Amino acid sequence: MRFGGLVAIDDVSFAASDREITSIIGPNGAGKTTVFNCLTGFYKPSVGRLTLRNADREFLLERMEGFRIAQNAHVARTFQNIRLFPKMSVLENLVVAQHNRLMRSSGYTLLGLVGWPSYRRAEREAVGKAEYWLELIGLIDRADWEAGNLPYGDQRRLEIARAMCTDPVLLCLDEPAAGLNPRESGDLRKLLTDIRDTHNIGVLLIEHDMTVVMDISDHIVVLDYGRKISDGTPDYVRNDPAVIRAYLGEEEDGDEGEGSPASSLGGARSEPVEPTPRDG
Amino acid sequence: MALAASTSMQAPVERRPFDWPNALKEAGAVAFVMLGLTVLMVGIEVRDVPGGLALIGRYDDVAFASLFGFMGRIAIALLREQRPKPVVLICTPIALILLFILLSQDTLAFLAGIGLDFGSDFAKTMQAVKLALPFKSLVVMWIVLILIVGFAIGGLRGMAPPRAAPTAADRSADGTHVVRKPLAQRISIFLAPALILFAVAMPVLAMPFGQRWFPFLPTVDLQVMDIAVLVVTYVMLGWGLNIVVGLAGLLDLGYVAFYAVGAYSFALLATHPEVVAWSQAVFGSSFGFWICLPFAGLMAATAGVLLGFPVLRLRGDYLAIVTLGFGEMVRIILLNWYSLTKGPDGLGGIPRPSFFGYPFTASPPEGVTSFHDLFGLEFESIHRVIFLYYIILVMALVTNLFTLRIRKLPVGRAWEALREDEIACRSLGINPTNTKLTAFGIGAMFGGFAGAFFATRQSFISPESFTFIESAVILAIVVLGGMGSQVGVVLAAILLIGMPEIFRDLQQYRMLAFGAAMVLIMLWRPSGLLAHREPTIKLFGRRSARGAEEAA
Repeated sequence: MRFGGLVAIDDVSFAASDREITSIIGPNGAGKTTVFNCLTGFYKPSVGRLTLRNADREFLLERMEGFRIAQNAHVARTFQNIRLFPKMSVLENLVVAQHNRLMRSSGYTLLGLVGWPSYRRAEREAVGKAEYWLELIGLIDRADWEAGNLPYGDQRRLEIARAMCTDPVLLCLDEPAAGLNPRESGDLRKLLTDIRDTHNIGVLLIEHDMTVVMDISDHIVVLDYGRKISDGTPDYVRNDPAVIRAYLGEEEDGDEGEGSPASSLGGARSEPVEPTPRDG
Repeated sequence: MALAASTSMQAPVERRPFDWPNALKEAGAVAFVMLGLTVLMVGIEVRDVPGGLALIGRYDDVAFASLFGFMGRIAIALLREQRPKPVVLICTPIALILLFILLSQDTLAFLAGIGLDFGSDFAKTMQAVKLALPFKSLVVMWIVLILIVGFAIGGLRGMAPPRAAPTAADRSADGTHVVRKPLAQRISIFLAPALILFAVAMPVLAMPFGQRWFPFLPTVDLQVMDIAVLVVTYVMLGWGLNIVVGLAGLLDLGYVAFYAVGAYSFALLATHPEVVAWSQAVFGSSFGFWICLPFAGLMAATAGVLLGFPVLRLRGDYLAIVTLGFGEMVRIILLNWYSLTKGPDGLGGIPRPSFFGYPFTASPPEGVTSFHDLFGLEFESIHRVIFLYYIILVMALVTNLFTLRIRKLPVGRAWEALREDEIACRSLGINPTNTKLTAFGIGAMFGGFAGAFFATRQSFISPESFTFIESAVILAIVVLGGMGSQVGVVLAAILLIGMPEIFRDLQQYRMLAFGAAMVLIMLWRPSGLLAHREPTIKLFGRRSARGAEEAA
């Protein structure tokens, strides 16, 4: 993917499958969000192919118009800086996500205008699905709040719930754990593994928080300067010298760094991180 | 450097003495500014005297304005320092005196009739005071009165006991914090039905028999009905533009184009010789208002969609300029396409609407029953105006109902989502192109209906009525009312259209008052008069999704 003279992604090929959480990690500027934007239709890659296979249908994502990727190929995404609809209520955010199905049931508005029962039923079902997700993320009591008034962690979870309300087959999450404290990060991990296990969809994750990545990923892809430098299970990636070099730099003289390099890349199993109690 | 923050309420500190030097300094500054503002505009008047023009000095008005500014600033300083008593003590009697001065003879007679007789001496004293006042215009007196009453109310609020602690009813569903419904919402709830009731009843209330009981109501003369029709027309236009600007967030500065398309479509369908000939041959008569109304809407909606295509990728200011250009384009086309639209000569002889086929004429043609014949009334030309008023009122209410309904449908929610964040919309699979085009189309359709009404009311249209200023006024109404607020649009239309008519008394200072009012609104309520968004669907609440489920 080229932006004028700047090559953001030079040589990246990977595969992600359903019932798996695939994480894309790498230093800042490696091209992770660019990959996402190409996948979800915000950029058109200058060269390359993005294929989504679902049941027996195949979608060439690089050829589809932005919104059709969500509409037809059922790829949902969240954003690095949360993009909710701040003046609409929490419930409305989730109901808007089910727009396409509701449009069909409302006869493209015409039936809805006259109060046709099939539309009312469809709207009740939409609210039911929204309620399901609200209970799952623990926001059911605040369903009528303005979305912009929620605290940051709740907004993140709401965005994920909104993406899930579109019934995706692939959920792309852009740094979902950014800005979350350890408790909220644990809640997020639980939510993502629930999604993977209950809904049988594929999850694609960009993340910097290694606790989250190493804990829940089934498959990790590492990028650096627009190229893929590693691809495999968490254990493999953690010990891959190429990855260690990218994150920590070349070792100058033997054992300069504190602790072993591998431990910096994976907290959950080797060094659990305890949340520190707060004063006051 | 040390910072200490605490939410605990301490005991009230010893009140420091009122800072007279500072207050006087501020008040002096205000007086000086008032002097500067008024000395040229108000102080010097050009008058026609025998032998040419003369410059008359009205420096007593200037002095009064400066004094009023000075006193007002002192009052604000007093209120700010929590010393409301002097303000109330001075303002209330002055307000009462002014009120009595302004009471007209009719009102005094009415009050005498119900037992509040003040005697003729009282009336004479009031007249003497009135003549002694520096300003002569009734409207200025009313403005001064309203300002003084405002100060008095501010003072009374300062004297009121502190608000009671929040009760359980004020708390949110999980009991964690207090939710007070914002003032805008509380007002809207009762204001909406009150306004509708008033609008429907206005001509009836003002009829002769109503006048006997409520003498302060305007007489149902042509001038008042005309203003009423004008205001309701702008209300409908405001509600139509609200769909584009308020709901979908597309800043449209060329709405008058759709108004014009609707008006000219109807006019041409009704009066163009070829169309008339064809319709005579096929249907036996030319097209009337009711038949043409849907076509006017359709043409305007088409124009809306045509405008929508080029502006799809534009945002904010660029969208505004292009739509402004489109508005001007339509006007210039109408001006220059002489063979079709008769250019600046305009189209005349546009038919009036009939009441289900019964026309409103004094002498109907042979064999046709007119409206007044049908109901056994004396023919009065005011009847037709009242009928027009009810037509536009119904059309406006239909626009409103449509908007309320469509907000709850997926396309309405998609509009609001588009306004909030277009990128998020795309990521949810909402087609931004279709959504924007439907917003433009439907908004334009209502503009077209209003345009057809305008044509039939005036019976003559020309491109001069469809200038950019109209678009600007309609946009000002929507923004002033609070984007997306239905009731706000009504209030703003009454203020922006009704007030200048009432201010005619001020003659050349009309626009000055208008500008001052706009500045005040922008200082006091920058997001509009009633800027509150009611969610379209609630999980908990009287008419809620859960409630419907349990009832179903």
